[in-house]
Amino acid sequence: MVKFLKLYEKIGIFILIIAASIFLAAVSPNFRNLDTILSIIQQGCYGAIIAFGMTFAITSGGFDLSVEAVMGLTSVIIAMLIPSLGFAGSIIIAILASCFVGLINGVLITRMGISPLIATLAMQVILRGASLLITNGRQVVISQKSFMLIGATKLFGIPTPILYMVVLFIIFFILLNQTSFGRHVAASGSNEQAAKMSGLNVTFIKTIVYILVAFSASIVGIIRTSQALIGIPTMAPGFTLNVLTITILGGTSLAGGRGNLIGTLFAGIFISMIYYGLNLLNVQIFYQMLAVGITLLFALFIDGLRMRYLEVAKIKGIRI
Amino acid sequence: MADIKVELTPKQKAGNFLNSFGLIVILIIIFGFFSLIIPNLYFTWPNFRDMIRFSSYVGIGAIGMTFCIMTGNFDISVGSMLALAGVLGASAALKIGGIAGVLITIVVAAFLGFINGLFVTKLKIPAFITTLGMLFIFRAVAYIYTNNTPQYIQDRFWIFLGNGNFLGLPLPIYIMAICYLIAYLMLRKAPIGRYILAVGTNSRAAALSGINVDNVKILVFTLIGVFVGVAAVLNGSMLGAANPGMMGDGWEFQVITAVVLGGTALAGGSGSLGGTLLAALIIIFLKTGMSNAQVNSYWQQVATGVVLILAVSLNKLKFYLIGQTQ
Repeated sequence: MVKFLKLYEKIGIFILIIAASIFLAAVSPNFRNLDTILSIIQQGCYGAIIAFGMTFAITSGGFDLSVEAVMGLTSVIIAMLIPSLGFAGSIIIAILASCFVGLINGVLITRMGISPLIATLAMQVILRGASLLITNGRQVVISQKSFMLIGATKLFGIPTPILYMVVLFIIFFILLNQTSFGRHVAASGSNEQAAKMSGLNVTFIKTIVYILVAFSASIVGIIRTSQALIGIPTMAPGFTLNVLTITILGGTSLAGGRGNLIGTLFAGIFISMIYYGLNLLNVQIFYQMLAVGITLLFALFIDGLRMRYLEVAKIKGIRI
Repeated sequence: MADIKVELTPKQKAGNFLNSFGLIVILIIIFGFFSLIIPNLYFTWPNFRDMIRFSSYVGIGAIGMTFCIMTGNFDISVGSMLALAGVLGASAALKIGGIAGVLITIVVAAFLGFINGLFVTKLKIPAFITTLGMLFIFRAVAYIYTNNTPQYIQDRFWIFLGNGNFLGLPLPIYIMAICYLIAYLMLRKAPIGRYILAVGTNSRAAALSGINVDNVKILVFTLIGVFVGVAAVLNGSMLGAANPGMMGDGWEFQVITAVVLGGTALAGGSGSLGGTLLAALIIIFLKTGMSNAQVNSYWQQVATGVVLILAVSLNKLKFYLIGQTQ
């Protein structure tokens, strides 16, 4: 069983994707052309990009419920600032503001010892309120059409959001797996006490992690704003659930200490395939909510099994 | 033997004061403040009565959550649970009458809580994330069942429960009082209360001393459901309808804030129902005050988030002053 679960951790998500592909290819002729596949990947990449950040947060033993509100804040800041600061300036300010939010999250969690659940839940409500305050509850239209170039065009035949995802994936992957920072994040997550005793600055590491999450959320906020050409204060309600589902389904354990970014990437695409399949069935949007919730429970079930068997394996002295 | 007098340090005195009277002082300050700035709207008997009546909605829901947080768990699905139980009960009331509708609401909510409990205990996954998934599943089922249309409540008995008066006081106040009395007896006089605190303090020690930890947790999650069901009945009655999208949206936030502000430690093992009740009153007094003073509703949203963070910080400060580590 332990072997099976170890194997699942490595290739489980690929099996799910292959099964879903076979199913979709069988029922939908459209699925067999490249444009459809690219658009499925594109729909999946928004969740996946934020889930890269979330993978870091869960690996460090925490998590972040404020990501959807960070997207809204980014969107609003960009829409309000573009007329005066131009594209580059407004994007930089939006990213900096998001990173500042991440910093506050990190300080609340590490310095003040507030649990990540309460701190980021409160932050979500505060940011939603703040975004609505900035625009006075309205949606702000961006009149510069060329802003669409950022998120709604294709480069070499590939939609730009996919390219952003690939670039961010490479950066996050190197950060988590090839640098000492990545190892420190995993160490803080698997045993915080031990990490502290061996001289790691856990406070600093975790704060950086929350900044990374907010950063990744702001990138998606920018892409989505560029596609809609509207600053939306209530952008993507409930998206946090998607992000958490993707991260856990990808094989990052809630117990902390093990992050699996490759799994996260493909889990994002898998969720998008579920959406595509549901769209084929022409069901209401509520069924998508239901599907994501059930997928999360499934992923948690696997994760729970894994934790339990790893515990048993440890007691029996099996090397894993 | 001579009496041993324990000299408290000023820090500990401050902590004890905060522990016993902090919430009452906050409540009086909030009430006094709004009474001063908008006396003709706020400082009136009808307004006071209505505020207590509305606080029953948060206050009753927070009872179950107090139990849950005492065991060191969390349930953030309560808002959606309220909506799903509410729409099922309301649609049943149209067919088989109000009393049956009320009972169905409570039973459905209890069953949903029971499912939460099963998932949390049998799969051994953290409660907050299980219930986060349930938050979306319950809401989605409520949408799908009603096809996103509000279920109107016209039954006279059901409407009476939330809007009627008895001896000059609104009925919800009595219902809230009864709920708190039952919860108090369970927590302080019955074995289950000791089990809950034992599981919250140290679930391993509780298991070793023969308490069936899983059953206690399942019972706690079911109890959340029961109290959420009662709150759903009152909410539906006050609004005259059960709306799958609006009902209970963001309610979990108010409920958790009430419990945390009431002084229940997030780590589990300690807490008080009186504190939860006072905190529920504080939240409603503040909310009504801000609405009456015509504070922008977005500012109100920001304020609710800040209050939650302040509440946790206040708890931390209290434990720090008394000298306990949480």
